[in-house]
This record gives sequence, C-alpha cells and structure tokens, in this order.
Amino acid sequence: MSLYALQKLIRDVNRKPACRDAYFQSAETFAAGYDLSAEERAALVSMNVGELYAMGVHGLLLRPFTLLRQMPEEDYLKAIRGGPQ
Amino acid sequence: MTLSFACAVSHAPGMTAWAEAAPPPQRDCINGGFARLKDELDASRSEVLILLTSEHWANFFLDHIGAFCIGRAAAYRGPIEPWLKVDKAEIKGDPELATELLEASYDEGVEPSFAYELEFDHGTMVPLHFLAPRMDRPVVPIFFNTLAAPQPSAKRCLAFGRVVGKVAARSPRRIGIIATGGLSHDPGERHHGVIDIEFDRRFMAAMAGGEVRRLARYSRAEFAAAGAGAFELLSWVALAGALDGRKGEAIVYEAVKPWATGIGMMAFPDAAPAPQVSG
Repeated sequence: MSLYALQKLIRDVNRKPACRDAYFQSAETFAAGYDLSAEERAALVSMNVGELYAMGVHGLLLRPFTLLRQMPEEDYLKAIRGGPQ
Repeated sequence: MTLSFACAVSHAPGMTAWAEAAPPPQRDCINGGFARLKDELDASRSEVLILLTSEHWANFFLDHIGAFCIGRAAAYRGPIEPWLKVDKAEIKGDPELATELLEASYDEGVEPSFAYELEFDHGTMVPLHFLAPRMDRPVVPIFFNTLAAPQPSAKRCLAFGRVVGKVAARSPRRIGIIATGGLSHDPGERHHGVIDIEFDRRFMAAMAGGEVRRLARYSRAEFAAAGAGAFELLSWVALAGALDGRKGEAIVYEAVKPWATGIGMMAFPDAAPAPQVSG
C-alpha cells in the first residue's frame, strides 16, 4: 500500500545528504516522517534487504541504498534472491 | 541534410569505475570501439549533440515521471556519482535546439516533458568521457523513462526518434545524435550478472539492418526478459527512428561478466553525407 512512501524514503536517503545524515542518526526517527506500514518500517529499521526487495522496492533504489552501508554484492544478491532474511 | 553523426553505445559504469575488472582483450576491444567512434565524431565536425539517454532515479522520482524529457538548460553538471572515476564537468546546453525539438514533437503528435534542471549520471557521462572528453560541444539531453513501469513502447520511441531526426536533418547546423544504454543486464535485480547474448546479438542485427518495423515490435516483455536494464535500448530504437531505416554497423559486442552487462556499439557511417570541402 505504502510502497511509494517506502521508495521515497530510500530515494531521499540516496540522493539528499541532509536526509542521509538524519537516517544514519536514527533510522527509526527518520522513518517516522514517512507514511509506512508497520511491516515496512520494521524491514527498513532492521535493514532486512530481502524483505524490502520482496515488498517491491526497485533494484536501482535498493542497491545504492545498501551500498551506503558497504553491503557486498554477494550478500545483496543472496538477500534479494533468497527472500526475507 | 545536416545530421552529421550517429552512434549507439552502452554506458555501463564499470567501463570507467572498475575498468580493470574486465579481461584485457575485452577492454581493448571496447576502448578500440570508442576510439573509432570518437574519430568519426571529430571528423563529422558536429556542432551540437543530441543525447538519447536513460534516467536512473537521478533526476526524477515517482512523484512525477514522464516518458521522455528534453533538457532546456543552459548548462548541465555531472557525474553525480563520486566513484565513477570521471572528472566532474560542466557541459553547455542548447536551449534553442531543445525548444525546436519540443515544438516539432508537439506538432508531430508526441508530447515530451521538459526540464531546465537536469543532472548527468553515468548514463550520460561515461559515453561523453570516451567520445567527447573535452566536454566542449553543447548538448541537448533527452531522458527516456527506462525504469519505472510502464516504460514507453518501442513503437512510440521510434516515432519520437523520427521527429528528432527530422529536426536534425533540417537544421542549418551539424547535429550529432548519440544513443546510450543497454544491452542485456539486470542491475540491482535478481538476475544481476546474467547476460543474454542471443538477445543482444538479435537486437544489434536489427539496428544494423535498419529494421525499423522489427524494432518497433519489441515488446515490454521482450525487454524485461533481457533484464530491467534492457529497457535502456528504447533510446537505440529512437535513434533508429531518427535514422529512418539507414543501415549501421555493429562494431563492438562483448559480454563483460565483471561489468554484468552486454556491451555494444553501433556506428552509422552513412548517417550523413561527407562534409563539403569548400574552395
């Protein structure tokens, strides 16, 4: 339902330095500014990449988002191919 | 007739950011292809370049996204990726040509959007880095929505490309067109790393043959089966429309595993008549 808001949050973090800083300070607080479902918020805060992908986050939003945390490609692909972690 | 130059090239970020990861024979072949196209572009004396390029969430988000967007800015900056190993540059725009393209499109029944602010990412900067490294020719970027479904149909891209070709052909200036993107790849998605060599070769053969009817029939399902990044080939289809059936030459094809994509390059040496030598 709120996939749009979830992707908006991720795109904001990827592209806007102020949002990125706020997200890294507290993902939970930052996420409160977006209209997310409880499941989306939980997947985001716990950085459950497989779940975020399964929810429909676009790969070209999600992969750069994981690169901000230096997630290796092998781990990323394992997460999105294997579903929820 | 002043369409002075045309080519289509892949724009994989690996070509600059992790170039050394590719096997040297493949790298040499790709660098050789770029060198040939750069020579052709320089010899064409093109005054301005129309760049048919892809959006990667750099400029647009789902709050507002159109099928095609023509840049009307006086200047553009890029790349946005600090890791691309391409120097940051400012590239002049050509608002006058952009407006002419818009008006011609509206007159012909295609309605692209337009923007006075656009940033360039690898999709535009990698080809410019190899083909026009001095970044001194003005450009008009045309961004294609190749990532948010539904993408424009190949048929529509071909029709839009025809308009672009007409504008270039009737211009008193020498205009080059560069299409960027593709070939098969699935960046950030489950089939990342899979390269569909057969799809790539078939598509390039259709481009080389100027088979506009076949190109217009490429469906979203066909592109999707070759990976999400294969939609970038819609810009190649538009180039085929601009060239209106003129034949080309597939000068490079390499399936480069470390860059996770099929890399292709098309030359169109017959796109324009040889420059007239006066005196």
